[in-house]
Amino acid sequence: MSESPLAIDRAARRRSDWTYRLGALGIGLAIIALWELLPAAGLINPIILPRFTSVAEALYTLVVQPFFMRHLIVTLNEIVLGFVIGTLLGLGIGIALAVWPAARRLTYPFVIGFQATPKIVFAPLFIAWFGFGQTSKVVMAVVIAFFPVLINTMVGLESVPAEARKLMRSLKATPLQVFYKVSFLHALPVIFAGVQAAFTFAVIGAIVGEFVGAQEGLGYLLNLYNFQLRIDRAFAVIVILAAIGAIGFFLLEWADRKFIFWREDRTP
Amino acid sequence: MTDPALLQPRREEALQRASSPVVVETRALSKTFQIAQGTVTALRDVNIAVNAGEFVSFVGPSGCGKSTLLNIIAGLLPKTSGEVHVHGQPITEPSRKMGFMFQAPVLLPWRNVEKNVLLPAEVYGLKPDAVRDKARSVIEAVGLKDFMKAYPKQLSGGMQQRVALARVLTYEPEILLMDEPFGALDEFTREAMNLELMRITQSAGITCIFVTHNINEAVFLSDKVVVMTPRPGEVSGIVDVTLPRPREIRTMHDSAFADLIFEVRNRLGRHIQT
Repeated sequence: MSESPLAIDRAARRRSDWTYRLGALGIGLAIIALWELLPAAGLINPIILPRFTSVAEALYTLVVQPFFMRHLIVTLNEIVLGFVIGTLLGLGIGIALAVWPAARRLTYPFVIGFQATPKIVFAPLFIAWFGFGQTSKVVMAVVIAFFPVLINTMVGLESVPAEARKLMRSLKATPLQVFYKVSFLHALPVIFAGVQAAFTFAVIGAIVGEFVGAQEGLGYLLNLYNFQLRIDRAFAVIVILAAIGAIGFFLLEWADRKFIFWREDRTP
Repeated sequence: MTDPALLQPRREEALQRASSPVVVETRALSKTFQIAQGTVTALRDVNIAVNAGEFVSFVGPSGCGKSTLLNIIAGLLPKTSGEVHVHGQPITEPSRKMGFMFQAPVLLPWRNVEKNVLLPAEVYGLKPDAVRDKARSVIEAVGLKDFMKAYPKQLSGGMQQRVALARVLTYEPEILLMDEPFGALDEFTREAMNLELMRITQSAGITCIFVTHNINEAVFLSDKVVVMTPRPGEVSGIVDVTLPRPREIRTMHDSAFADLIFEVRNRLGRHIQT
């Protein structure tokens, strides 16, 4: 076990990591500078793109409003519910289809057909079926979030190496033992990638649902400010939604590192 | 290296224990596969007998059916015709008396060395505490005492294969079936593993059936080398290895060793067109 070449390698990698991080920061600062200067110089109409500082100001005045919390909580609620239900549903159906080949063959055409349909077309229907409240948004979030989990669960469970199965067979393991000692854990990294996608999709589902018809929520606010031509506030809502997406992504990334420590590309 | 209870000399005992010394026997064993182009005969009329405590190797070029034979003995693959008996009982499914070792270590990456070694015990429904001491002593015996809590990806290929060996030895199989277990290792590691395998299986009196295409390895380890010919897989001859035990690396420089290598090669050579 030679330790030093690895250590050198790691140090070099860390150094280049920092170079890239500084580079990304530089690009970010350049974008903000243009965002500030172009409208200020009159090159872009502030109605189309408000200055960075006015968006920042609008963000501040928005979040201190008493009504803001209500809209934020409604949307967060829809996102989290849609994400959790969608993930559980995708996981459950994915496992069922992977361990029961007859069911997979029977339902596969419908799965493909459903996947090929842009799920957003259901949004008006869901409003008609479930009303203007949160339910229709949660349903929308579930419908588009469960799919990546379903597909990744099936793919992950089907990609268990033949040799691992053979090992378990040579030990006379029961199908249940094969599932929870080998297959599921083997599939977990792939499933988790689907779960991460599900979060992003749940955000989209909730917002689209709110766009189509709602009386509260961040999507409703965004629509409202757009109609009122308060573009600075519309941008402020977008910044908040981007932050929700980013926080969710990083939380899941952290959970992935913590629970799926055996990933190939990772040093424990 | 410490010698735990596992390594007490039990070979003589094992040889005497069996009322009938034959542990594994095949009679007129054949195997055919159906493929798109028709029928392929993988094994034809294979008759072999392996005695208790014996180390028997099967050598032959790729496609001679030696792995197929091993899988049939293990109960992992159905035979087409003929008979396979282990202790006089026909084999139709895997048995816990037999341990199987693959060319790849097949370790579970989310389990550390100790947990990987405990996998068979878990599958058998044994309490981990009941086998932990046993597992530790076997891990020590294969030279991985300091890596008990290491994960597979932190280990070299040779070390991973040691873990696989420890895993199969922990549940004390009577018969060890090995399918080119060191085929993916470099020459030095292979040599070290050969010595270790011989030391452990000899002292524990385990009956071993070993598949390889490395003639050196086969002669060095075995009491008998079964030479197989390809398409259809048939036994072309059995070479008795009379080299005294214990054997060491310098055994490979004996003229008797060279003669045996030559004999095996000769039997193989008649069937290999280059």
